[in-house]
Amino acid sequence: MIGQLSEIVTEGLTKRFNSFTAVDRLSFEVGEGEIFGILGPNGAGKTTTIRMLASLLTPTEGTAFVGGFDVVDDSLKVREMVGILTENPSLYDRLTAMENMEFFAEAYGVSDRGTRSKKIRELLDFFDLWHRRDDKVGSYSKGMKQKLAIARALVHDPEVLFLDEPTSGLDPRSSKDIRDLMEELSRREGQTILLCTHRLEDAERLCSRVMLINEGGMVTMGTTDELRSQIAGTPILRVRLGEASEAVVDAVRSMEGVEAVAVDGTMLSVSLIDADRVTPHLVRGVILAGGMVQSVEVLKPSLEEIYLKLVVDEDEAE
Amino acid sequence: MRLSRALLVFRKDWREVGRNWEILTPITLVPLLFSVVMPLIVISAPGQINTGASPEVLIESILRGAPTDVIEMLAGFTEDQQLTYVLLVYMFATFFLLIPVMASSVIASDSFAGEKERKTIEALLATPLTDGELLLGKILASFVPAMGVTILSFIAYTVVVDVGTYGTFGVILLPTLEWFLFIFLMTPALSIAAIGLTVLISSRVKGFKEAQQISVVLVVPIIGLLIGQGTGVLTLGPPMILVITALLAFFDLLIFRFSVLLFKREKVLTTWK
Repeated sequence: MIGQLSEIVTEGLTKRFNSFTAVDRLSFEVGEGEIFGILGPNGAGKTTTIRMLASLLTPTEGTAFVGGFDVVDDSLKVREMVGILTENPSLYDRLTAMENMEFFAEAYGVSDRGTRSKKIRELLDFFDLWHRRDDKVGSYSKGMKQKLAIARALVHDPEVLFLDEPTSGLDPRSSKDIRDLMEELSRREGQTILLCTHRLEDAERLCSRVMLINEGGMVTMGTTDELRSQIAGTPILRVRLGEASEAVVDAVRSMEGVEAVAVDGTMLSVSLIDADRVTPHLVRGVILAGGMVQSVEVLKPSLEEIYLKLVVDEDEAE
Repeated sequence: MRLSRALLVFRKDWREVGRNWEILTPITLVPLLFSVVMPLIVISAPGQINTGASPEVLIESILRGAPTDVIEMLAGFTEDQQLTYVLLVYMFATFFLLIPVMASSVIASDSFAGEKERKTIEALLATPLTDGELLLGKILASFVPAMGVTILSFIAYTVVVDVGTYGTFGVILLPTLEWFLFIFLMTPALSIAAIGLTVLISSRVKGFKEAQQISVVLVVPIIGLLIGQGTGVLTLGPPMILVITALLAFFDLLIFRFSVLLFKREKVLTTWK
């Protein structure tokens, strides 16, 4: 066992298929109970990374440990402790939802019938599928299959969850339910979640840290705030005033932590070194200088803007 | 290897096979042809069957190894009646080797290749089932229905033959010792060998149809046996059946061992249609 506080540790993780490098020297750690996002365009290597971590593919180079177990040498142990939602729901269409759940629960070692039935009931109830439990999965909609596949991934209470596009094919209500569930699993149950997604709003809301990958390699990694500061430099504070008098503008310019001020009618755009620390002082200063503050807004780039800047711009530059 | 886990895979596949008409149709119709239609044709018009050898040669070569009481019993019958006896009691046993091989090749071809086509393979491979448990489960899922169909066909065939020929011969012809050995020893041993090879092929090709096309070659040795018997070159008596069964059993062990060694989850997952 290594990395007591890290559930997932990779070092130089690489996968090549003949001359094609699908994943290129990825090194990262995911802490216990953390929701970690991997973002990237199609073919970036997200699914291959998950497959290596779930002991489905053998890395060409590098190492990976999940829950302290080597994904190559302890592959059975790794598979026992992870739950995986694959790219496709991977469900048996000719079997009913109940038969699918029973099969996977037993395959993952939930051998006690009572425990199994209770867990399956709980999950199917949560995903609103209990009333359709005896229907063949082939008759399910795409969204229902996706929910059942997530339920299957959770049936053995895994320590680590690998979710590949979990909200794909789901309506907004179901997507929200899944996001709430992930937050709860991470916060209350301490489950570690590795989330691969295109949906940047999912990553922005859920992930404590994200890694952007492109063409198999890491572009950047950090908290969303760290990524924002990487691309946006200093944050901008927009202050709408009743009137932008010279006295107020001068007072703002002279404040500590203010880098520049631009005036557009009654709107001040203020570049700050540390928005969280400076903003309260700045608002107080404006009021003391006789300004009437109507609204204050810190402009931060969204994860989508970060993604477009770091991944799409990189592609276009090549 | 935990047998309970292999049985879990077997039960899952068993349920799936039972609801798949693409599989159920061939494994029902072909045995029906061998166990009901063909014996009825022989009983009603034995002269219409062409075995590749003249009736005299066939009757003479097969009855050469038959017990004295059978030879004495047949002495008073016409050539057509003797031919009916030889075909139904001796020749058709070899056809029964085709039933489990055909049935198991249809099911086994579907095992991994079918899961790839239906995109269910990844979740199965992600489970903590060992390679041996997965393979044994898949082999059992083909073996049990294949042998079930074979035994049911054998019962149907016995009834058709005995009812259809009692008026002519005045005795119950089947079952004989050779048939018992054939159905309960040689057929299972051959079936396991065929399934083991087909499952292995199925895990390494892209789709169900490709697996089935390759596994058709497994029928070739049986056709050889049929020709050998039909031309009078080979007589499958009890000693010969036991020797072939022992060889097949040894072959079964080799195939299973070899299959486990060659089975690679990554190969199964990445050889994708």
